[in-house]
Amino acid sequence: MAVELDVFVGNTTLIDKDVYQLWLDGYSVSDAVTIRIQSGILEQTGATQDVLESDTMDHYRAFQMLERLLHCPSKLTNQLLFQIPPPMQSMLIEKYYTFDEPFVREVLGKKLSKGTKKDLDDVSAKTTITLKSCRRQFDNFKRVFKVVEEMKGPLVENIQQNFLLSDRLASDYAAIVFFANNRFETGKKKLQYLTFEDFASCGKHLIHNWTLGAVDCMVDDMDVDLDREFLQDLKDLKVLITDKDLLDQHKSLVCTALRSKVSSFTEMEANFKNLSRALINIAAKLIHTKDVRDLFIDLVEKFIEPCKSDRLSCNDVGIFLTQYMNTARALDAFKHQSLWERYMGTIKSCIITMYHE
Amino acid sequence: MWFPIQRPERVSFGASAKPWMPFDSQQPNSHCYRLETNSELLCICSYTHLHWVPFSEDPNPVTHSSGPSTPLKNQTYSFSPSKSYSRQSSSSDTDLSLTPKTGMGSGSGGKDGVPLKALYRQQTQSAFEHREFPFFTLTTFPPGFLVHVGGVVSARSVKLLDRIHNPDEPETRDAWWAEIRQEIKSHGKALGCHAVVGYSESTSICEEVCILSASGTAAVLNPKMLQDCSTEGCSEHRLDDASSLGCSFCHIPYDELNMPFPAHLTYCYVCRKQKVPDVLFTTIEPPLEAAVTGKGCLIQARLCRQKKKTQGEANATAISNLLPFMEYELHTQLMNKLKLRGMNALFGLRIQITVGENMLMGLASATGLYLTALPSPGGIQIAGKTPNDSSYEQHISNIQKKINDTIIKNREIYEINPPEILEELLGSPIPETRQRSRLFRSQSESSDDVSELDLSHGKKDAFVLEIDDADAVEDIHSLLTDTPTPAGFYSCNTEIMPGINNWTSDLQMFTTVRVFRLNNVTGLTSHGLNKAFSDLCENLLKTLYFKLRSMVPCCLCHVNFNVALPEDELIQVSVTAVAITYDKDQAQYVTKVCTDKTILKASVENEDQLQFTLELCMESQSSQSALHFSPCKTMGITESGNLQQVTPAAQRATSVDYSSFADRCSSWIEFIKQKAQTIRRGSIKTIASLDKASPLAEAHTHHRSPISCTTSTVTVVEMTPLSFIPGAKIAKYLGIINMFFIRETTSLREEGGVSGFLHAFIAEVFAIVRAHVAALGGNAVVSYIMKQCVFMENANKNQAQCLINVSGDAVNLFRDADVESAPSQPQTSGLQIGNGSGDVVT
Repeated sequence: MAVELDVFVGNTTLIDKDVYQLWLDGYSVSDAVTIRIQSGILEQTGATQDVLESDTMDHYRAFQMLERLLHCPSKLTNQLLFQIPPPMQSMLIEKYYTFDEPFVREVLGKKLSKGTKKDLDDVSAKTTITLKSCRRQFDNFKRVFKVVEEMKGPLVENIQQNFLLSDRLASDYAAIVFFANNRFETGKKKLQYLTFEDFASCGKHLIHNWTLGAVDCMVDDMDVDLDREFLQDLKDLKVLITDKDLLDQHKSLVCTALRSKVSSFTEMEANFKNLSRALINIAAKLIHTKDVRDLFIDLVEKFIEPCKSDRLSCNDVGIFLTQYMNTARALDAFKHQSLWERYMGTIKSCIITMYHE
Repeated sequence: MWFPIQRPERVSFGASAKPWMPFDSQQPNSHCYRLETNSELLCICSYTHLHWVPFSEDPNPVTHSSGPSTPLKNQTYSFSPSKSYSRQSSSSDTDLSLTPKTGMGSGSGGKDGVPLKALYRQQTQSAFEHREFPFFTLTTFPPGFLVHVGGVVSARSVKLLDRIHNPDEPETRDAWWAEIRQEIKSHGKALGCHAVVGYSESTSICEEVCILSASGTAAVLNPKMLQDCSTEGCSEHRLDDASSLGCSFCHIPYDELNMPFPAHLTYCYVCRKQKVPDVLFTTIEPPLEAAVTGKGCLIQARLCRQKKKTQGEANATAISNLLPFMEYELHTQLMNKLKLRGMNALFGLRIQITVGENMLMGLASATGLYLTALPSPGGIQIAGKTPNDSSYEQHISNIQKKINDTIIKNREIYEINPPEILEELLGSPIPETRQRSRLFRSQSESSDDVSELDLSHGKKDAFVLEIDDADAVEDIHSLLTDTPTPAGFYSCNTEIMPGINNWTSDLQMFTTVRVFRLNNVTGLTSHGLNKAFSDLCENLLKTLYFKLRSMVPCCLCHVNFNVALPEDELIQVSVTAVAITYDKDQAQYVTKVCTDKTILKASVENEDQLQFTLELCMESQSSQSALHFSPCKTMGITESGNLQQVTPAAQRATSVDYSSFADRCSSWIEFIKQKAQTIRRGSIKTIASLDKASPLAEAHTHHRSPISCTTSTVTVVEMTPLSFIPGAKIAKYLGIINMFFIRETTSLREEGGVSGFLHAFIAEVFAIVRAHVAALGGNAVVSYIMKQCVFMENANKNQAQCLINVSGDAVNLFRDADVESAPSQPQTSGLQIGNGSGDVVT
C-alpha cells in the first residue's frame, strides 16, 4: 500500500527545531530521516520509520513555503499564511541567518558575486558543509549586503531593523558586509590562523573609527565605506619615520616608558625602528584600494610575525602599542595628534585581537 | 447505546436472517435496504414512561398516525449544522425549508437561552399537535434534561439516484429521508423512548448508488424542562432526581420484564435502585452530570469489504447484502475493543459507511468510558474450536494471557478503579449472569452453528471470542496490536474527556489528509484489505501522537475521521481534531461539583447574550456600544464588497440604526476605508491599528493569547472543532463562517507534487478563515469543521483540483485569567466555559 498524499497542517504552524536545523544544514529528506533515527528518536517516542518520514516531509514542505518569507523577515512577522508564535518566528529567523564559521572564513572579504557563488562547490567540498547550506548562507550574505549597502544610518541597526536579527548576529553581519564591501583579503595562508571572530572584532573597530560614520552619522554608506579623506591624510604620519629626530625622540620616549615594564625589553628596543616603520608604512599606503585590501596580511607580515619571532607576549605587545601611541603626544614637532590616535587606536585593537597562535 | 447482546442465533445471516432485513416492497424502483442496526433485534416494545403528558404515547402503538407522509416536523430540530456530524446534510436541506430560519444562524447559537426557549416551545407544540418525535441534533444538554438514554438507533437505506424522476425536485429525496426518520422513530419507541438526541444524517454516493444513513440516541427527556421552556427547570429537577448522583440517565427506559431484546440488567452501581444495562452506546457527548470512573479513550472499528464492480440495481443489491455484515462486524469490533479497555460505555458513536466502485469501507469511532453506574465489563475469553490439538491449545492460552494482560494494563492507563461492590448487595435479579454473553465472529456464522451455539448461550462467563479460522487469529492479533496511546496522550472523539478538567489554553487544531493507493485490490483477501485499512488509521494516529509530542500531557479531542474512496484503488482519510494541553499537577476532580453550578449560571446568564437576530443585535449594540463601540463591525460592512463572505449577523447589522454614533462611525469608516486600501496593497497593519483604536479591541489584544504578539500586527486567531476554548469565555458570537474553496493547479510538480499542493491549500484555507474572523473583530473560531475535502489529480497532465468546504463560528473571547482587567464585559465575569459547561446547545 503506497501513500500517495500525506499532509498535516496545524492552525499554529508546528515547527520542530531539530528538523529545522537539518533542513538548514541542507540535508535531503532521506538523510534527515537517517540522522533523526541515529539520534535515537524512535526509541524515545516509540515511533516507526514511516512516521518519521512523514513528519520530516511535512516539516520540509512547511520550511520550503516559509523560506521565501524568511528572505524578508519583516514579512514573516506580518504574514497571515502561517500562524507562528513570535518567539518561534524569532527562532526561525535567527537560525536561518546563522552561518557556519568554516564557511564564512572561506567567503569573508570576497566579492558576493555570481562568480563566487559558482565556486561554492569547492567551498562545500573543503568545509564538508552541504552545497545547499553553502548557497543559503551565501545568499543570506548577499541579501543583507544588497539591502543595507546604500542605506543611511548605522550598519548594525540597519541590519537589525531589516532582518530582525539578534544583536550578536547583526554585528556579525555588519562585519561580513563591511569585509565584502572593502574586499579585505582574509584567505591567504598566513591569515588562516585567524578566526571569523577575530576578523569580526577587527571589522567592528574599523567600522567604529575609520568609516565615514565615525565623523558624520548621516551620510550614505556611512558604516560601509572607509573615510577616504582620513586615508588620504594618513600619509602625513610618515613624518614619524622620515624625520630622524622625531623617530629617535619617539623611540627614547617609548623605551623609557617600557623599561622594566615588559619582559622582552631588549628585543623591542632593537626592533623599535622596524616596527614603527612597518606601522607607519601601512598607514601611508592605505590610500590605495589594493593596500586597504591587504591591511590584514600586511599587519601580520610586517608587524605580528616579527614580534612573534622575537617571542613577544601578547601583553607586551599591548603595552608597547599603548606606549607607542601615547608617547607621540609628547612629540612637540608632531602635529597630527587626532589623526594619529584615530589610526593607532584602531590598529592597536586589531593587532591585539590578531595576536594569538 | 444499549447494544443488545447479539445472540448467535440472531446474527446468523443466512436465509433465516431475512425476517430482520425487510426490503421495502412499496418502492420497487428504489432498492431499499434497511438495517435496523439494533432495533431490528428489538421484538418487544413497551412503554413505561406514559407519565409524560406532551409526549405520551398513544396507548396503541400500532395506530400511531405518523407515517412517511407526515410532514417532517422533526427537521425543526436539526438546526445545528456545524455540530451534527452529517457531512452531506445538503441532501436533506430541502426539508429545512419548513423550518423558521430564526435561530439558525449558527451552529452553536443555541448556547444562548432564547432560541432554545423558542425551540422548546415549538417542540412541545408540535408534539402536542402531531405527536412527533423530537429529533435533536444537539449532543449536549443541560443537566437533568436527559432522563434516560436508551441506546443508539440507526437506519440505512440504499437508493439509486438515477431512478429519481425529477432530480431537481426534492420530493423523492424528502420521501427517502422521511422513511428513514420514520424508522428511527420506531426504533426509539421500541426502546421506550420518545426522543432522539445526537441525531445525524449522512450520505455516501458512488456513481448512481447512494447510501442514506441516519443515527441518533433514543432518549427520554425531561418534560418539565421542555414545557417550562426555561433552564430553571433543570435546577428543580436536579434536586428531586437521582441525576445528582450522575446515574439517572443510565437507567433503562424500557420495562425490564418486557424487554425489547435480550439483555443483562443489574441494579445501578450508583443508586442501587434502578436497573441498568451492562453496556451503553450513545451518539451524544457524555452528560456533564455523568459519574465516570477513570478516563476515556478513542475506540475505532474499521472494516473494508470488497464488492464486484457492477451497475445499477445489481450494484445496489450487492451493497445491500454487504451492509448488515459490515454493521455487525463493526459492532463486534467496537464491543471487543471496549472490553479490552475495561470500559462499559461508548459516547459520540459515529459509524461512517463509504461506498466506492469496488469496495465498501466502514469506520466507527467513539469514545469509550467507564460509567460508574454500569457493571464492570467481564473479560474476553478465547475459545478454540479444535480442543484436541495441544499446540493449538497452547496458542490459545497464549492469546488469552495476552488479552488478560492488556485489560489489566488498560485499566491502569485509563485509571479505571471502580469501587468494589459486593454482588449480594446488588441483589441481581439474574443471579447467574454477570455480563454473560457469547460473541462470535460474523464470518464464521452459519446456520449450521445455530444448534450448537444455542447450547452454550447464556452459560458462559464473560465475553467469548471463538477462534475457528486463521482470520480470527489475526483479528484477535490486530485487536491486541491496536497501538496503545503513548504516555501523556489521551484521545477522544467527543468534545471533552471526562476525568480531565484542568485544561490549559495551549491548543493546536490541525487537519491531516492522507491518500493511499491499494495496489492490486482484487488480489487482496478481504482480511488483507481490512488490515491495510486498519493499519492506515493506526499509522495516522501514530503520526499525530508523534507530531504533537511536544504538547504532552495533552488530549486529542473531537478526533473526526472522514473516509472517502475517490477512485478505484484510492482511500482518502482526513482527520480534523484539536490537541489541548492539560495541567497534570492540578487536582483532577475539583471541578466536578462546580461544573454543575456554572452550567446553570452560564445558561441563565447567556440568555442576554445572543447576537443572532436583528433585535438582539440592536439590543446588544445599544447596550454596549456606549462603552465600546466596536469598529470591527463597521469594517464588516464597509468591506462587504471585497470580503465576499459576510456573516448573516454582520449583514443584519448593516440595517441597525447607528445614528447615535454617527459621528464616531463616519470617522471610523474613513479610517477603515483607508486601512482597507492598505490591506489591498498587501500591508497588514489594519487589525492592529483597529485594535489600538477601540477600547474593546484593545482588551482583545490584551487577552488574545499567551503568545500575544509584541512586534507583529497580525491577530492571533485560535481555531477549534470544539464549541469552546478552554480557559476562555465567549463574549460574543460574530456569525457563522461557511466557505467553499476550489483550487486548481496546472503545475503540480513545480508546487511540490500533490502533497505540496494540498499542504499549501489547507494552510491558505486556515489563513483565510483566520483573516475573515479577524476582520469581523473576532479572535477565535469554534465548532470548526471541514465538511468536504475532495481531491482529484491527474499526474500525467501535471494537474490537480481540490474542493474544500469549512465552517465554524466566529467568536470573540476573553481569557479567564484576564477577566478582572476587562471591565467592558462585566456581565460575563464569573462564568466559566472552560470546562465545556457553556455548551448547552451545540
